[in-house]
Amino acid sequence: MTQVLLAIDTSSGTAVAVLVDGVVVSETYEPDTMQHAEQIGLQIQKALVAAGKKSSDVTAVAVGLGPGPFTGLRVGIAAAKMFAEGVGAAILGVGSLDAIAFTKELSEPTLVLTDARRSEVFFGLYQGKSQAGSPKALLGPGVKKQSDLEAELKSSGQSYEIVSGSISAAALGLLALAQLSEGKANSSIVANYLRAPDAVPAKGKKVSG
Amino acid sequence: MSHQLRLATEDDLAAMMELEKASFGNDSWSKANMRAELKAPHTYYFVAFVDQTIVGYAGLSKVSSSASADIQTIAVSDSHRRAGIGRQLMEKLIDQASKLGAKEVYLEVREDKPAPQALYQKLGFVGIDRRENYYQPDGVAAIVMRLAISLKNKSEPVVLGIETSCDETGIGIVRGTTLLANVISSSMDQHARFGGVVPEIAARAHLEALDSTLQKALHDAGISINEVDAIAVTNGPGLAGALMVGVGAAKALSVAIDKPIYAVNHLVAHVAVDVLERGKLETPTVALLVSGGHTSLLLVRDLLNDVELLGETIDDAAGEAFDKIARVLGLSYPGGPEIDRVAKDGDPKAIRFPRGLTLPKDMEKNRYNFSFSGLKTAVARHVELAESKGEDISISDVAASFREAVVDVLVTKAISACQDNNVPRLILGGGVVANSRLREVATQRCQEAGIELRIPAFSLCTDNGAMIASLAAQKIMAGVGPSELDFGVYSTLPV
Repeated sequence: MTQVLLAIDTSSGTAVAVLVDGVVVSETYEPDTMQHAEQIGLQIQKALVAAGKKSSDVTAVAVGLGPGPFTGLRVGIAAAKMFAEGVGAAILGVGSLDAIAFTKELSEPTLVLTDARRSEVFFGLYQGKSQAGSPKALLGPGVKKQSDLEAELKSSGQSYEIVSGSISAAALGLLALAQLSEGKANSSIVANYLRAPDAVPAKGKKVSG
Repeated sequence: MSHQLRLATEDDLAAMMELEKASFGNDSWSKANMRAELKAPHTYYFVAFVDQTIVGYAGLSKVSSSASADIQTIAVSDSHRRAGIGRQLMEKLIDQASKLGAKEVYLEVREDKPAPQALYQKLGFVGIDRRENYYQPDGVAAIVMRLAISLKNKSEPVVLGIETSCDETGIGIVRGTTLLANVISSSMDQHARFGGVVPEIAARAHLEALDSTLQKALHDAGISINEVDAIAVTNGPGLAGALMVGVGAAKALSVAIDKPIYAVNHLVAHVAVDVLERGKLETPTVALLVSGGHTSLLLVRDLLNDVELLGETIDDAAGEAFDKIARVLGLSYPGGPEIDRVAKDGDPKAIRFPRGLTLPKDMEKNRYNFSFSGLKTAVARHVELAESKGEDISISDVAASFREAVVDVLVTKAISACQDNNVPRLILGGGVVANSRLREVATQRCQEAGIELRIPAFSLCTDNGAMIASLAAQKIMAGVGPSELDFGVYSTLPV
């Protein structure tokens, strides 16, 4: 049976790709980071049309679990979950930073950074790949001020080169398939927020004054 | 003189060409093209005429082996615009497509022509694609639109509704006006230690609850996802981050099962829920919607076309006021049920707390608006003052008096809204409807005023997916087309 993988990531923009038997046949990307809810349905539809596939052809859905700004990240995960439910497809969760690392050589220690807002970065340090191509993580994913992170790495004598960039759904899909092939597919779809919700427990009862 | 429609014949060719040139100029078909269209076995052309003069025409193409039909062209004479001729021609073609067994109808429209696009949207067409430089020599893009015929005027559509505007993940399924499933997963407990709904916690909980809530709803309804005819989702008002989880989920589900999607207003859906219990909504009706997020008075003349927001809270929602006062009184979250419980043993007349926006000067400007912040402060002051003097206070009396003040304002304003607008009906909605005193006072005063009171079952009053599905089902049954796939969420979406 033909394997049709729909890959979705909303940890930065809205990225969707369709892979048929391991080959990327279509990819769409909407860079606006404030348009996930508007774009998600359209982009999925577009990627499927461009790939010449119907929804019901999809056999697996891969989704970026973050880290990424929460509100957008959730849109993609919610969509992936419901698409998989709707067509009865398997679902595979992939680290969004891993998907960026997947596209790099990784012969040297490579620090993948994405914008975490509030003057912080989401980071992962990678070096080397498995035979199937999965990046090997040395550190992370985590969230920190970039200056603090780099100071720590330097003081521990860790060398690294920095890469950043947006996440390609095609890369995410290929990585999901690599992980599947080595028996490391992740079917537990839980967003990787890396931060607790901003909320303080209610203080005493004083309301007036 | 009104116009009529009939099938076009070759004798109409000359008149049609005249209209074609006048309407399309550069884009006009040639006479040979038009003749071929008229004569082709798979095309259906209709003309609109007044007396003997042809004032419009439109054509459909439907190949017998295909499940879809295409609108080929439509033109209406300049001198007969705004007479509904275009709409009638379109309806004729859609009807013809339906008779020929088409499941969907496609058309292309110039991107620079908003008026026809608006008409097609009203008829239920949805933009699905854009083709660059389609119209030559002008280099104008075409918008490709599609109408799903299977849903048009469908008598009992199966609709799955998703609601995530606050702290309840609701998925409901209806068939027409029949409730099939109503599953609610609440994150209320997770908000307890914060004393109110934390938006980020609510949004996280929605994401986690989606799959199990969907599975349970389908199980309860005893249907498979492929039996669903349409997806409905709340796109406002509510917490933006929470709404987006539902909208992302609903859009993906709609694309996955290739069924249309309806974006639905949360407040109007609270009213639409009544059709699930009574088969139809009696109108006009006033609706009082009271929850932790809303305190609104609506005048509903027509569920789908005429809902007016008469007033709403200008500060806290009533449910929020209950939560805050519960905290003042050392009671737990959510405050409504706790205050209700404690107030049972109290005297509602023990303390005369202020009724917000009920003074004559307020009633001029804020006749149907609510305010609970003054009341909240008054209760807090009362408690603090007593404590500073070392006096014992009766929590029951304070709770009962506070509850009485809230309920009094809610019911008084709702009944005024009915009387001022000559509306003999009031429907309640929202989580605060669980409050026993609100139900009691509303029942009693409506009876005195000769107003019919509707209180839906509590599982349909609190936020739920069935009400979302119900409103979309009403739209489908009335022939209203689905939403475009690129709609957004609006935390303050107006009715």
